[in-house]
Amino acid sequence: MATVYNWQLKRDMAYLYEGQRPKRQIAYVFDTNKCIECQTCTVACKTTWTSGKGQEVMFWNNVETKPYGCYPLRWDLKTLELLGEQSWEGETYTGKTVFEAAPPGERVLGYRPEVEDYASPNLGEDVIAGLVEKGAFFQGVHQVWMFYLARICNHCTYPACLAACPRKAIYKRQEDGIVLIDQSRCRGYRECVKACPYKRVFFNMVTRISEKCIGCYPLVEQGEQPRCVQTCIGKIRLQGWLSAPEAPRRDNPIDYLVYVRKVALPLYPQFGLEPNVYYIPPVHVPRDFLVQMFGPGVDAAIAAYRAAKDDPELLGALLLFGNTPRIVTSYKVQDQQAIGYDEAGREVVRVPFQEPVYIRPYFDAERGVYRHNIT
Amino acid sequence: MRKLLFLSLLSLASLALAQSEVRVRYVNVPADAFPAQDPLAALWQRAPVTRVTLLPQTVTTPSLTAPSVPWLEVQALHNGTQVAFLLRWPDATRNASIDVDRFTDAVAIELPLDHQAPPSFMMGHPGGRVHIIHWKAIWQEDLDQGFQDVASLHPNYWVDLYFFADTPVPLYAEGEFPHHPAARSFKTPEALAQLSGAYVRNPVSILDRRVPVEEAMAEGFGTLTSQPKQNATGRGVWAGGQWQVVISRPLVTDDALDAQLGPGLRSVIAFAVWDGGQQNVGARKHYAPWVPLVFEELPQ
Ligand code: SF4
Ligand code: SF4
Repeated sequence: MATVYNWQLKRDMAYLYEGQRPKRQIAYVFDTNKCIECQTCTVACKTTWTSGKGQEVMFWNNVETKPYGCYPLRWDLKTLELLGEQSWEGETYTGKTVFEAAPPGERVLGYRPEVEDYASPNLGEDVIAGLVEKGAFFQGVHQVWMFYLARICNHCTYPACLAACPRKAIYKRQEDGIVLIDQSRCRGYRECVKACPYKRVFFNMVTRISEKCIGCYPLVEQGEQPRCVQTCIGKIRLQGWLSAPEAPRRDNPIDYLVYVRKVALPLYPQFGLEPNVYYIPPVHVPRDFLVQMFGPGVDAAIAAYRAAKDDPELLGALLLFGNTPRIVTSYKVQDQQAIGYDEAGREVVRVPFQEPVYIRPYFDAERGVYRHNIT
Repeated sequence: MRKLLFLSLLSLASLALAQSEVRVRYVNVPADAFPAQDPLAALWQRAPVTRVTLLPQTVTTPSLTAPSVPWLEVQALHNGTQVAFLLRWPDATRNASIDVDRFTDAVAIELPLDHQAPPSFMMGHPGGRVHIIHWKAIWQEDLDQGFQDVASLHPNYWVDLYFFADTPVPLYAEGEFPHHPAARSFKTPEALAQLSGAYVRNPVSILDRRVPVEEAMAEGFGTLTSQPKQNATGRGVWAGGQWQVVISRPLVTDDALDAQLGPGLRSVIAFAVWDGGQQNVGARKHYAPWVPLVFEELPQ
């Protein structure tokens, strides 16, 4: 075991290999407040990557309703239960990670789901966290909560899947931090399936080896954001590059949201993997639940997010979401517009803070028609 | 008292047996009468039985914490050109399918490339290569029952469409069960690309397997690599709570990656057994370290 620094836990921790951050790290920000659970992302991923034989119940991207939704079944509850008590002191995690809590003979603490656990990918959809009183009606604020959690592989800085593979068939690419399973080296031991606490490695019963999200690397290599990001109807997703924690760049929208403003938080940071999908927490959900899920930064993140409308730099970063297929590596705010640039410094997106309003006459004299609605 | 003495002598004897050699008996039979794929052949009665104690693999992680197979019995025959090993071990459940939570029964033999200086019995070591031959119950099932496909595991799976499958999925009438194209009908590059393991020719993703065994080499933990040239064959049957598996190959091959064997050779052999019912897989296995291996001379 080596010792590595996990910035999300603000401390050193044990990991199987020496720490070596990639040249750049793929990272995503998902705004849970905007997700409508349309599953467009899920279907885009499925038709692109997992429509083959043996992938019938395999979803590299899934969107589940919290608190009850889960795919595979009870994935988060099981790992939280296995891990036991998890404690934070301020911003420092004082409990154990899945590496530190590994039982004798194991590299990682984990469990392997059963076949039935994958059988109901959308179980718990739209189920709310409590009962609605008889006679209750909407009064501007929902009385019972739920929210949608979109999930993909986190392309972790310290992947448990990679650590668990005795064949070193899983690797993290130096050029972009994407974590891949070498399809010619894997022998289907399923140690990675057991080890990944997010259950983002899947077993293919036909090829008899494991498969996982590949971060749409053929797109990313061409400077384009992954399929799940490009197709997102709710524009909740932004993919880019996260700088090393000691060198954040304020003009990099991902760095700005994650490091500078800290509005986007890792999912279950206490597992210890330094996951690289960052979530803007839902503003209406009980704080205890959110702290368990996203760590101690929840209150500050929500406060900053709520104030975004009066915060041009933050608003600008949020407006880049879903407005370009290109990967935005830097941005600026100018004249009430957010402007995003690609790696070569070319402008790839320009979004006004306020969409212009066009009022068209009820009767269109040129075409001789009446306009009934907005289309 | 005498009984006790007898008993302890007996256990000493079985201990001696456990540590004794595997003797490869010479039988003067032509290739077609040699039991290269027949674990039940009468000829096996001519070969001495060596019982090898199995240990749970705990040297490296992940390890086997709950062993379930205490021993393996080995018999071996050669006819001057071929060698066959008959491996027999107790296993109450026959596990011959694979899914996320299903594991296959399996056995392997290991031979050093250098008979004078065998490397570590644990998969060899860097620079000290070993030759390993695997047999797996699921591969036997693939041959005996046809490729173990989605339909064999989940007959009620409903799939509308598999892109590019050679057997087109007909549009089915209401209430009619959809057609399942077999994985083997994914033949064009576009179709095979949907089965990435098969597309890159991963040796565990072979859809049209010809033998239930695989020859591999290794130089230490995690280095097991399938050989480009496969010369071995075998066959396994499960009955009455035990597996009987034959693994055979030519004594001499033109494959530089194979251990070369022959009459009169003295070498070593090691074993591994996986109990699929106990989720054994990869390093989670039972093993027996090097046991002396002696090939009988050809008669003068
Ligand atoms: S496409 Fe976007 S909005 Fe729709 S479910 Fe996926 S993440 Fe949510
Ligand atoms: S989320 Fe799971 S599969 Fe993805 S890199 Fe992390 S440990 Fe591996």
